[in-house]
Amino acid sequence: MADGIGAQRVDFIAVPTRDRAAAARFYEETLGLRKNANSTDTWIEFETGNVTLALVDPSSAGQPFTPLPFGSIVIRVPDVEAARAKLQEAGVEVFGETWDSGVCNGAVFKDSEGNGLAVHHRYAPYPDGTLP
Amino acid sequence: MIEVERVDYVRVPVDDIEAAKHFYGEVLGLPRNEHLDHEDWVEYETPNVTLAVMTPESHEYEFTPLPPATIALRVPDVAVAREKLQAAGLEAGETWDSGACRGVGVTDPAGNRILLHRRYAPYDDGTPPSPS
Repeated sequence: MADGIGAQRVDFIAVPTRDRAAAARFYEETLGLRKNANSTDTWIEFETGNVTLALVDPSSAGQPFTPLPFGSIVIRVPDVEAARAKLQEAGVEVFGETWDSGVCNGAVFKDSEGNGLAVHHRYAPYPDGTLP
Repeated sequence: MIEVERVDYVRVPVDDIEAAKHFYGEVLGLPRNEHLDHEDWVEYETPNVTLAVMTPESHEYEFTPLPPATIALRVPDVAVAREKLQAAGLEAGETWDSGACRGVGVTDPAGNRILLHRRYAPYDDGTPPSPS
């Protein structure tokens, strides 16, 4: 299976919610993402630039709500400190100090539903000089 | 609101990095980010977003798998992908059809349920689902 299954891209990342309306406000107003025109009352999609986030309600499929674990969706921002300050201004709890790995920095937080997110910026090029 | 540029990566938490490397690299056939060389953090590239396969245990938090069907991976043909997974000895669920898309679930060795997905119906405004 050298070619595997022929994966073409990630169509969406499902973001579990209990209160989809509150979550939609968070993604639209706090993160500033654009709602996809294909969204309906029961299927809401937000665009990040490269991949779609779909707000889903596990209870509608008879599934228990389980939030995304720690730092699951890692969002690129131009400046982690500026993003951190804006999140805190909006009342979002940012956990711990801003990390710095030596090549990137970032900060972890949760959305209105308790899903683990992070803001992130890689500032160092790879050894061959390219950036992600 | 914060300034979101894109999603840099989605963390895929695993408890056995070697088993995960086989699954994501060989079974799904995703190319690896060769810039990185870590024992406990291996990145696989889909054309639009990176999957960071990593072990929470070596990053000072507890392993929990992603909620079911968090990651929807686009494949050209769900039935063909399902057959390939079964030929590789994996258990794939039943194929479902929502009336607009098809999907099948497969579980990675750590228990993350990945959705293989294909939308075939045009959107409400008549635009076709993007071909690749």
